[in-house]
Amino acid sequence: MSAVDSPMDPITLEVITEGLISVVREMRATVFRTARSVAIHEARDFSCGLFDAQGQVVAQSEDIGSHVVPLPWSVAASLERLGADLAPGDVIVTNDSYLGGTHLNDVTLIYPVFEDGERVFFAAVREHWADVGGAVPGSMSGTATEIYQEGVRIPPVKLVERGVVNRAAMDILLANMRVPEERLGDFNSGLAACRTAERRVRELTRRYGIATLLDGVARNLDRSEARMREQIAKLPDGVYHYEDYLETFGPPPEYCLEPLLLPLTLTVSGDTLTADFTGAAEQAPAPVNSSLAVTAASVFITLKSVFDPTQALNQGSFRPVTVVAPEGTIVNVTHPAPAGSHGEIRKRVIATMLGALAQACPELTSADIHRTSFHNLIGGIDPATRKEFVHYEWASGGNGGFLEADGPSAMAAIDWGDLSTVQPTEVLESRFPLQVEWSRQAADSGGPGRTRGGLGTRRRLRLTRGSARYSLLADGAVVPPFGILGGESGAPVASYAARGDAIRPFPTPGKVGGHAMDAGDAVILQSAGGGGYGDPLERDPQAVLEDVEEGYVSEVAARDVYGVAIADDRIDAAETARLRAALRARRRFLDVVDGPAESAFEAVGRGRKRVARLHPDDAATLGLDADGMLELLAAGGAPLRAWLRIDGATAAGHVPLDPSGRRILRVAPGDRVRVRALHRPVLA
Amino acid sequence: MRWVGVDVGGTFTDVVLHDAATGAVTAGKRPSTPEDPARGVLDALAAVCGSLDGVTRFRHGATVATNTALERRGAALGVITTAGFRDVLIVGRGHREKLYDIKAVRPPGLVRRSRVLEVPERTAADGSVLVPLDEAAVRDAARRLGALGVEAVAVCFLHAYANTAHEDRAAALVRDALPDVPVSTSSEVLPEHREYERFATTALNAYVRPRMARYLGMLEQRLTDAGLACAPEIMTSGGGSWPFERMARLPVNSMLSGPAAGVIGAAAQARALGHGDVITYDMGGTSTDTAIVRGGRFALAAEGHVGGLPNRAAQIEINTVGAGGGSIAYLDAGGFLNVGPRSAGADPGPACYGRGGTEPTVTDANVVLGRFLPDARLGGEIRVDAARAAQAVAALAARLGLDTVAAAAGIVRIAVTRMTGAIKEISVMRGLDPRDFALLAYGGAGPLHAAQIAAELGIATVIVPPLPGTFSAYGLLVADRRRDFSVTRLMPLAGADLGDLRAVLAPLREAAIAELADDGFDDASTRVECHVDLRYAGQAFELTTPLADDARSVDDLVAAFHALYAERYTHADDGPVEAVAFRVSAHGITGKPALPALAPARAAPRPVASRPVHFDSGAVDTPVLERAAMGAGAHVTGPAIVEEDGATTLVPPGFTAACHASGALILTRERTP
Repeated sequence: MSAVDSPMDPITLEVITEGLISVVREMRATVFRTARSVAIHEARDFSCGLFDAQGQVVAQSEDIGSHVVPLPWSVAASLERLGADLAPGDVIVTNDSYLGGTHLNDVTLIYPVFEDGERVFFAAVREHWADVGGAVPGSMSGTATEIYQEGVRIPPVKLVERGVVNRAAMDILLANMRVPEERLGDFNSGLAACRTAERRVRELTRRYGIATLLDGVARNLDRSEARMREQIAKLPDGVYHYEDYLETFGPPPEYCLEPLLLPLTLTVSGDTLTADFTGAAEQAPAPVNSSLAVTAASVFITLKSVFDPTQALNQGSFRPVTVVAPEGTIVNVTHPAPAGSHGEIRKRVIATMLGALAQACPELTSADIHRTSFHNLIGGIDPATRKEFVHYEWASGGNGGFLEADGPSAMAAIDWGDLSTVQPTEVLESRFPLQVEWSRQAADSGGPGRTRGGLGTRRRLRLTRGSARYSLLADGAVVPPFGILGGESGAPVASYAARGDAIRPFPTPGKVGGHAMDAGDAVILQSAGGGGYGDPLERDPQAVLEDVEEGYVSEVAARDVYGVAIADDRIDAAETARLRAALRARRRFLDVVDGPAESAFEAVGRGRKRVARLHPDDAATLGLDADGMLELLAAGGAPLRAWLRIDGATAAGHVPLDPSGRRILRVAPGDRVRVRALHRPVLA
Repeated sequence: MRWVGVDVGGTFTDVVLHDAATGAVTAGKRPSTPEDPARGVLDALAAVCGSLDGVTRFRHGATVATNTALERRGAALGVITTAGFRDVLIVGRGHREKLYDIKAVRPPGLVRRSRVLEVPERTAADGSVLVPLDEAAVRDAARRLGALGVEAVAVCFLHAYANTAHEDRAAALVRDALPDVPVSTSSEVLPEHREYERFATTALNAYVRPRMARYLGMLEQRLTDAGLACAPEIMTSGGGSWPFERMARLPVNSMLSGPAAGVIGAAAQARALGHGDVITYDMGGTSTDTAIVRGGRFALAAEGHVGGLPNRAAQIEINTVGAGGGSIAYLDAGGFLNVGPRSAGADPGPACYGRGGTEPTVTDANVVLGRFLPDARLGGEIRVDAARAAQAVAALAARLGLDTVAAAAGIVRIAVTRMTGAIKEISVMRGLDPRDFALLAYGGAGPLHAAQIAAELGIATVIVPPLPGTFSAYGLLVADRRRDFSVTRLMPLAGADLGDLRAVLAPLREAAIAELADDGFDDASTRVECHVDLRYAGQAFELTTPLADDARSVDDLVAAFHALYAERYTHADDGPVEAVAFRVSAHGITGKPALPALAPARAAPRPVASRPVHFDSGAVDTPVLERAAMGAGAHVTGPAIVEEDGATTLVPPGFTAACHASGALILTRERTP
């Protein structure tokens, strides 16, 4: 039995690892049992983690990635400020987006655990507090122009010193939040979880000895690091690029789209990887910005989900990865811009990562996922109870197709843990003056491809009595999720005001602030579809037939997009071959010529968008209006998206591309690229 | 008066025969026959009971419905639902099962979307009809499903819990159109709100129903042919017994049939020993089931799962982990040693069975450690081949860079860690301290690992009941008849009086009592419990709160809710409380088997053998005792091994074992081994 008792045999390592994860599970259970915010103990909008003395995640459990992966930045910022002066019984509290935080609603408690006078671990809890003050109830304002409107900002402070709560600081905080007694309960739940962690960690150190425990932690981190390095090393060395946008709109009455550019340069060198967002749009006085912690965490979530999905998460995986995000941009927000849009920045960082990885390892990645956290709010006074109500829903959309299978429909994305995204109609209708008229997956919303993107959902909610206001904080309502390897786009996010048969879109798609509704008025909410993977003309006709039978794809799309002819519920093989040949023959290709960098983009208000200058004849074949969106495709990877400019100066059959555009497609002047109008499905 | 319990497990079919006149108990097991489970039942009955003459109680624990769902071998299913909501069953709650995996997909559902047909109708949350049922559309949907060849239909309408009229009418129309196809309605299967969980439970019921109905019909016929004169009964997941006919209609209630019987038996055993609070620990061949019994009572789960799909039918809160004697140890993709959930099952079984299994299992590891004697007979059927066990473990040990014994100890330790984790989830994570409980161990592999698990959790006492290897079959004999009825009705409690609540419960109570009366239970042998699901107004989840018969006012109920809330969530609010659902459980009390008391031990137990057994401290020469030869009061200090048919109890160093007069073996932890 000697090997079992030696300092670090594989069995002890497993048992220690399981023991640490079990500590976090118990922290979770403690928060869940003791928190007061409905969001915490019903939506489970909180996460726990155990960190080593250097602030690296060593254990987590079924937590929400968007919370727990950015946590180390809060720990690091806290250590930087207070690390030299920590004693047993101290508790650091912070929610500062500019100092490692996410949005202000995510309040973090950091609790050092000491052993023989030495700091050995940190327990940390990040909880979504239902309100942290600011301009609107719930603190998440779609119209904030400065962070002050998003709530009270708490830089890392010792709210508890050597076990004694700093009453003055606590009173000031609570006085600036709505329902303060509930907030105090939330704080206490986090504290209880940290104390549980301390007790359990002590039990582990007593049992195995601190040296063995720390050795086990170090080995776990090393193992995760080694696995990630091994995966990165398999990628061809090189520099991979992609670019995407967040959406803001100019002033009325035009509400012109002002897209904010997010370019990514992904460098693979040996077994290391750098994600560089240099060139990202400047931060805007609108809720479209987020923090470096969120940006880096989104890079990590993508890499973990693509390269190492089977093993428990810890920080070792991310050691070979560097993230560069310049200060003052939408991906590294600084004072005083709003920081509330972590849900949108996260999805877009993931999108750029998927776009770049589609060049490096298309067999491991998926096409783009549903673009936004899609925060829909309907609130008002219910005349039946004379009480205020707020209905909040965050319907997920389609996920991207991948090599082996179609993207799952209407399912939470990789950054959302196990969060439920469909609320029971029966609960909703019994609590609120709302009726869900219908709620269906939207046929043709999944991006066509060899494997299809998942479908988004489309639902219609009607106000049954009184009056209310509808708000939406989303993104991806203009620029849809992209397909890869020739796959087409999924349907974008949408929402509409409706009364009876009259349906009208909002002037700023994806961004609605306080739209007035009266009894009988309805809204239609459409979550995005996932992008398609591979050429739709290569999809197995049998799979297309099944999609038609199941109602996922219309017969029209089967014919026009997939080139599959269906007659009497069967595939007409001869007609299908003819259709597919015809669709292939209609594809347009252009020769790449060198284009100047200065005319590759056009400024629109505070935004900037890539334009493609095509000869009028070529433009005409695309069937696009001026300023319509098109895609340029090379053999692999993700498409380069641009807005059409009709330009007689461009030679017919050619497209000028600046070096950044050529890098995204990995083409050189003289190469041919395919051009197509952006796929915009017509949804029933 | 002979009583028979038959529990079909994944590996063995267990039988316990109790002679109510003499108190004599006979038990035995035969290999299960998954392709035709009834054959295994008849085989085991023939082996243990001989004839079925004089059998007056026949109780069954079955896995047919569970396996049908897990293996996705159920009926071709059609669903008729409210216009606009065909995707409720397809999309579910829109959550992700695997957290960080860009290629994660949903577990496959039970019904194709093209076989979910919508019909115009709409009932509101208060039960009022907003859109009348379009009967022509129902007839048309039934015809279309018939043409598609469906073998079972589920009718699932929104808010049907509040008003069953549309579902009832639609079901009648479908039965007219498709007389041979069984129809399940959501308001019959689970009249509770939250449409996805209700629809999913109903679809699951419909999906497993034809196969379960066939099985129960065939088994009853064969039992009758074999001479059974009484009406056979089957265990529900909620811990009551039902006539076969009812289960054939509502088979979703049998998903935890066998494990529930074990918990019922455990609760009875704990009460008999005066240990009101026990953690049940049932380790079989493929998995381990664990549950909490407090004050002799068990809790019902808010939701269970079968093969990744929700099941809200009434069920005992049992936590299952895929670690059993047959669980396979392997190195995973990350090079980590892992145990289970993949199992060698009954065929080929662990390597030591010598039936062609080559991968090391937990059982093989125990053989290597000397905890199973080489000539031990597992389940009386299979001879252990120690060389094959060692060979299988050695191959894995080489890849780990360990010697064979260390690897075997590691395999057992990791299995113990996983089982301990499952117990923590239902105790520590709920604010319960396992040290306040005794561990009641059964199942073929439970008594072998119980002491190690108790030590991990700080538990001082382990109870190994009589017949641990066939304990669930014994539990079948202990159970009462039981009916559970529930209805969802939103009702603020402010201003409500007890009469309002009792008025909602009255029809449920009458229905439950009437059904038990049909089964022959009178007032004296019927016990009724009422519960109300309560929540703070505005919250979206509820706690099931008992409504005592002697409650004098609504305040008593509210006080009970506050107390329950404080226990589970450490604090209570003072906000207004509302009722959401009303529940009635009616028990038809049946006689309990009285086991004969053990004769007092006349001498210290004498070992029948002795051999080296590996513990953490190294190999120790360990005496082997026959449990059958141990009288009441017999006492042994670990290390020791106690053998009996169907189970082996390991008494490690640091534990003592004593025989209780009831026949239970009580292990006491003297110190941490």
